[in-house]
Amino acid sequence: MKGTLLICKKEFLELSKDRRTLFFSFVLPILLYPVVFFIMASLGRNDQTQREGQPSRVQIVDPSQIVEPWLKSDPKLFECSDGRPANLQQAFKDHTLDLAIEVEASAGARVKRQEPYRIRVWLDESEPASELALQRMRDAVKELDKRQVSERLGALGASLQIIEPSRILTENVADPGLALGKLLGSFLPYILMLMMFQGAMQHGIYVTAGEKERGTLQSLLATSLPRSQIIWGKLIYIFCMGLIAAVLNLLSMGISLGLVLGRVAEHPAGSAGLASAHLAAMTSPVNLLICFLLFVPLGLLFTSFILFMGIRAKTTAEAGTSLMPGLFLIITLGAFSMAPGIERMPLLPYVPVLNVSLAIRKLFGQQSSFFEILIAFFMTAGLAILMTWIATRLLDRESAIFKQG
Amino acid sequence: MIQLSDVNKAFRVKDRKTRAWKRIEAVKSLSFQVRAGEIYGLLGPNGAGKSTTLRMIVGLMKPDSGSIRICDLDTQEKPEPCRSLVGYLSTDISVYTRFTPRELLRIFGEFQGLDPRVAERRGMGLLEKLQLKDFADIRMEGFSSGQKQKVSIARALLHDPVAVIFDEPTTGLDVFTAKTVLDLLRILKSEGRAVIVSTHLMPMVEEICDRVGIIFGGELHGDAPPAEMLERWKVHSLEEVFFKLAVP
Repeated sequence: MKGTLLICKKEFLELSKDRRTLFFSFVLPILLYPVVFFIMASLGRNDQTQREGQPSRVQIVDPSQIVEPWLKSDPKLFECSDGRPANLQQAFKDHTLDLAIEVEASAGARVKRQEPYRIRVWLDESEPASELALQRMRDAVKELDKRQVSERLGALGASLQIIEPSRILTENVADPGLALGKLLGSFLPYILMLMMFQGAMQHGIYVTAGEKERGTLQSLLATSLPRSQIIWGKLIYIFCMGLIAAVLNLLSMGISLGLVLGRVAEHPAGSAGLASAHLAAMTSPVNLLICFLLFVPLGLLFTSFILFMGIRAKTTAEAGTSLMPGLFLIITLGAFSMAPGIERMPLLPYVPVLNVSLAIRKLFGQQSSFFEILIAFFMTAGLAILMTWIATRLLDRESAIFKQG
Repeated sequence: MIQLSDVNKAFRVKDRKTRAWKRIEAVKSLSFQVRAGEIYGLLGPNGAGKSTTLRMIVGLMKPDSGSIRICDLDTQEKPEPCRSLVGYLSTDISVYTRFTPRELLRIFGEFQGLDPRVAERRGMGLLEKLQLKDFADIRMEGFSSGQKQKVSIARALLHDPVAVIFDEPTTGLDVFTAKTVLDLLRILKSEGRAVIVSTHLMPMVEEICDRVGIIFGGELHGDAPPAEMLERWKVHSLEEVFFKLAVP
């Protein structure tokens, strides 16, 4: 055991000498997310404020003059001009136009006959300004329609309520914390898995294939330390790096997202408070402990896989290439674990890796099964032990140490 | 001290053209022994099987058959105790460049079971002998090949091994550094250690080795003091023995 800790110490000591790696591993994730989220939120908010503060540029053809005066009556929302541009697409591209409207020529006659008239609209859905202009126009026309209907009903001696015989009152009784927990449970395992693997990968390559490539592995293997202790030392180091990467990224991302959402969203204080209270209950120490206990064997499984591939590879480039399928597999499994309704699949608790994300998903969704948590834990732990054993055996093979064949 | 008995080692390599696996006999029925206080020169051209033999002694490779014993311990049965008796210097001149020599020696001392302070003290003594003490606290990133080799030698001798195995220790070194290494080998011999040096540089062998074994095509051709070897082959230099072996 002493040898294991010594190898682990050596790896951390070596890491501590590389300021750049330290910065990119520990400092950058803390700085990156707040900066990125803040910039994104600021840009988004500025753009939205700017768009909402400006009138939409509308070109309108309305021979009956039914809609145009109505839109022109609110210059804060619409900047109207007559006619249609020769090239609509180009006008949208050049940002000289947000919306083009054409009211049918016989609209006036149709209104008199109490028949619906058609309004054709051209917009560029890829432009938020165009979408906003459409929304504004819909609201304006709805108001115009309401006024016309009201006038017609008034002429008949009836009120507007005649067209609304019933009213549906809806009330969402869903636990806001539970909804948030379900959402969290669906993507949290994916994020954690990805970050853990990604964070451990580069360090794993450095201490396995990297040592081989730099020619230092022989000097390490020539010491009196047993091979198993060398492997376990490296395993602990890679695992710690993966765990640190996952925790740092997640914390930084969570805090940044929370701050940004808190500033952007204008939720009623009551509901936000209720959601946080429920979420706090869901992320109780027991749940977090179960979550952590499930991630330990999973992290060890990833680590032993990285270790195995790293030792097997002759160069760091080869190790990186051979680990990419593992990364893709995790992305695929993670994306699959986010799919709705998968918790009802009967065989899923027996699929490695996926069963961990499923167990966590159910844990946060308050549907957890103790049996499924146990299966996920022992299956992952068993696989991690098996993979570590294989990696230890591999380090005993000459072909893994020396470049042959 | 070090005894090899009928050691065989073969590798399987793939012929990339024919896609067939080939068996290459790297070491064939190799037997020799090295006593305490003796420098044994293992000579041979590139690919003769020198490094494979030395790697088997250190335990980095396993013999297919035969036995290797260090201080009466079998390297297969007791790999870790055997490795603790040996100081090994490989052909690769590579060190952990992020460390300073002091840090490297301290951590490797711990690997060999030494107290860190003892390891550091011994390490500094070795660096002084190797004229590298002034560089003890400088990171090895910018070190020359000779400086790295000196650190590697200190690392190999740190745990006071009874057997020392140096695989081509002077290759790529300038004459001054090579002389420092040769002087150190003489000191190791005088301290009663068993030393095996592999090389293809004949003048060095004639100068420091008590006995030589010429390995060619995986087989040992002769195991005698350099002078006796010259007499046996009726030549003036060991290089001529090489040529005679290459063109029988």
